[in-house]
Amino acid sequence: MKARYYLKLVIFLFVFWILLSGRFEAKFLIYGVLTSLIASYVCMPLLMLKSADGKNEYFALDFPVWRLVLYCLWIFWQLITSNFALARAIVSPDLAINPRVVRFKVEMDNPMALTVLANSITLTPGTVTMNVTDDGIYEIHALTDDAADGIRAGDMQRRVARLFGQDETFVMLDGADSADNADRGEKGAAADGAGSAEGGMI
Amino acid sequence: MIDIREIIAVIMIALGILFLVISAVGMLRLPDFYSRLHASGNSETLGMMLMLLGFVVYEGANLISFKLIFIFLFVFIGNPIGTHILSKTAFKTGEPVWTKDKEGGGK
Repeated sequence: MKARYYLKLVIFLFVFWILLSGRFEAKFLIYGVLTSLIASYVCMPLLMLKSADGKNEYFALDFPVWRLVLYCLWIFWQLITSNFALARAIVSPDLAINPRVVRFKVEMDNPMALTVLANSITLTPGTVTMNVTDDGIYEIHALTDDAADGIRAGDMQRRVARLFGQDETFVMLDGADSADNADRGEKGAAADGAGSAEGGMI
Repeated sequence: MIDIREIIAVIMIALGILFLVISAVGMLRLPDFYSRLHASGNSETLGMMLMLLGFVVYEGANLISFKLIFIFLFVFIGNPIGTHILSKTAFKTGEPVWTKDKEGGGK
């Protein structure tokens, strides 16, 4: 198992070396293989990530490449479309924003999946990850109504879970601002306890 | 005779500059720290991406294009991390969130 991770990392680093050097003489290729081997030996302990409860260990780059490519393309598309929406909100005369904090919980064991999800949310304009707790509770600052609805729909959470082969367990926890929750009635009332605890913290 | 590739490159670079300008405008217009982070972090990523893609189109398929794509990938991974660290620090130190019905912060 571990040998496969080494092989993956060495190949990745060697391809990177070739792209940066752009030379194919034997001398440079041998240098490249040797550096890749040494670098992956040194870096391997850093790339083995322990889950939050410390029971399982995951290799940071352990996902199918084609899925990563598909996911990146989707993220690019999200980045472009929602950036246009955000730009329109910023330059509109009445500043069409409605900031609020949105909270949700996912249960993913793999710490890399949590990181990728937090990073993707920050990368998508209109939403910034403010805090991630060890239990997998995300606190998101959403700038516009559309951005908050995008988080509520849970499309990104599903895609990240699929990328890492994790079970999809996505639960919406409602934010502390009650005015925002009025339109969702009983759901807002159910999360009131969590909301007041949140208010005390801020 | 102007090359079609140059036209595409110029359009992409101009769009990139437009997004950088919008990010600067957002920096000035938005009300609080968190919403300013949206403007500085995200519009900038897209502006940078469009500019670098413009350079790639202008340069054509050679080694320099690959290096430009690498620059973009590092920005793509690094920029959200920086934004997240800033917002997390603000959150931990209790910076109030501006909302529409309660101007001036608090919840």
